[in-house]
Amino acid sequence: MIITKKKDRSKLLKTLEGYNSFYLIGCSECASLCGTGNEEALKEMAEDLKAQGKTVTGMIVPKTGCQTLGTKVELKKDKDALDKTDAIVVMSCGAGTQSAVEIYPDKAVYPSNDTLFLGNMTRFQMFDERCSLCGECVIDKTGGICPVTNCPKGLLNGPCGGTKDGNCEVSDEIKCAWVRIYERQKKLGELDKMKEILPPKDWSAKQGPHKLYTRADAAEGDKKGKDKK
Amino acid sequence: MSFKDTLESGKFVVTAEVGPPKGTDISVMKHDMELLKGKLDAVNVTDNQSAVMRICSLAVCKLVLEHGLEPILQMTCRDRNRIALQSDLLGASVLGIRNVLCMTGDHVSAGDHKSARPVYDIESVQLLQVVDSLNNGKDMSGNDLKGATSFFQGAVVTPESNPLEPQLMKFEKKVKAGANFFQTQAIYNIEKFKEFMAFARKFPVKVMAGLVVLKSAGMANFLNNFVPGIKVPQELIDEMKAAGKEKALDTGLNITARHIRQLKEEKICDGVHIMAIGMEDKVPVILERAGLL
Ligand code: SF4
Ligand code: SF4
Repeated sequence: MIITKKKDRSKLLKTLEGYNSFYLIGCSECASLCGTGNEEALKEMAEDLKAQGKTVTGMIVPKTGCQTLGTKVELKKDKDALDKTDAIVVMSCGAGTQSAVEIYPDKAVYPSNDTLFLGNMTRFQMFDERCSLCGECVIDKTGGICPVTNCPKGLLNGPCGGTKDGNCEVSDEIKCAWVRIYERQKKLGELDKMKEILPPKDWSAKQGPHKLYTRADAAEGDKKGKDKK
Repeated sequence: MSFKDTLESGKFVVTAEVGPPKGTDISVMKHDMELLKGKLDAVNVTDNQSAVMRICSLAVCKLVLEHGLEPILQMTCRDRNRIALQSDLLGASVLGIRNVLCMTGDHVSAGDHKSARPVYDIESVQLLQVVDSLNNGKDMSGNDLKGATSFFQGAVVTPESNPLEPQLMKFEKKVKAGANFFQTQAIYNIEKFKEFMAFARKFPVKVMAGLVVLKSAGMANFLNNFVPGIKVPQELIDEMKAAGKEKALDTGLNITARHIRQLKEEKICDGVHIMAIGMEDKVPVILERAGLL
């Protein structure tokens, strides 16, 4: 899921100073699990805004904020409150925020969160980064553990000289990704895989902005589009 | 004779280090180079060592050449992407630099620009392959070069790494990727180093033992506690302690000289790489005591 963190509240309120009324949009998915865009977080934000003498015209926790189409339908139901507001505060991730920008091209939209990483929830509201969306997955070669993300240098061919008793040179709180890969491959009896030299990564696969169209008739649709021109 | 020819001839080689300064005053470095001239087979020039920003390795390599010493260009992958690395390698080649040591490089978090963006577009094993490719007239994308390089490329290894096996596997990859010689992280335990050499001897590469001069018992403890892959045995710490404050450095120099003698006489490895870390002027003393001057 996408991990978010609340922006410093007093700084945010300062950014919003010039507006009088707000509509709040959360998200029932990642931002709810992070506690940054659930109902409780929205209510708390409303209180803070009211304490500043502002009006909150309404709020909603849409099912999936980054699902632009669905969110648009959900927001339609609250059209009056949205029409009345000066600005929209989106309490999900950067993607959800930009859904709102797309749906309301004529309204000011502000994010209340910083969007951090793609994370795994390992305990309640404790998140760890395991994949950094590099666009060309190599963990079939590394025992299912991602060196691109878990090694601060993103090394593909084994540990650097900085491994210290199994920990990473960057921080004692990080276990060396390559020691983890080694231990796992050893356990699985697949140490031979560590002998293969992995080639340099094709970073163009990571180069954004990305677009992907996966509908079965996508190719067909493209053709039609071209035909129309 | 060039460093490559000397090493390949089977002669026991000696290299040391020049650490480029932070700033444009190079008087101390020049003085050290004068002192080292004629006494070494080559001299490494570090690349923003410990991620601390200094004069670039390439420029100092050129100065080393001008002072009549043979440079080994240390090249890390921390600060340059593949375009910059290849471009610098071509530049080094036309400046007459023939030796390159391919390394990954300490993380920026170790240095004095902690908010810098680390690069690591490629890493040490892949950099060795790149050098090999440039030597064969092609860049990383397979484009033809107008004029190939002719580098003698080396790499580093940490024989005291814990766990050791993944480090040895990486050593093997480096050999496969084209490394001709290795300089090791500092070693202090010759008996343990022999075990590493028994492994390394299976490969057609030259190995130079890395030696760091101990300045005090405190420094030895510091290395043990904070520097990954370095283990100073207790008996050496005791020897340093027994020497007392005044004689500590002298004892450290003796230990290094003693180790060089043993490594050479017992033909344990192919040479030594002395890392004096700010005491480059003491290198001639060490060589004298080791019977190499
Ligand atoms: S290799 Fe790339 S895609 Fe695969 S887990 Fe790592 S970052 Fe994610
Ligand atoms: S110690 Fe391990 S995880 Fe840390 S940078 Fe080196 S190889 Fe990567």
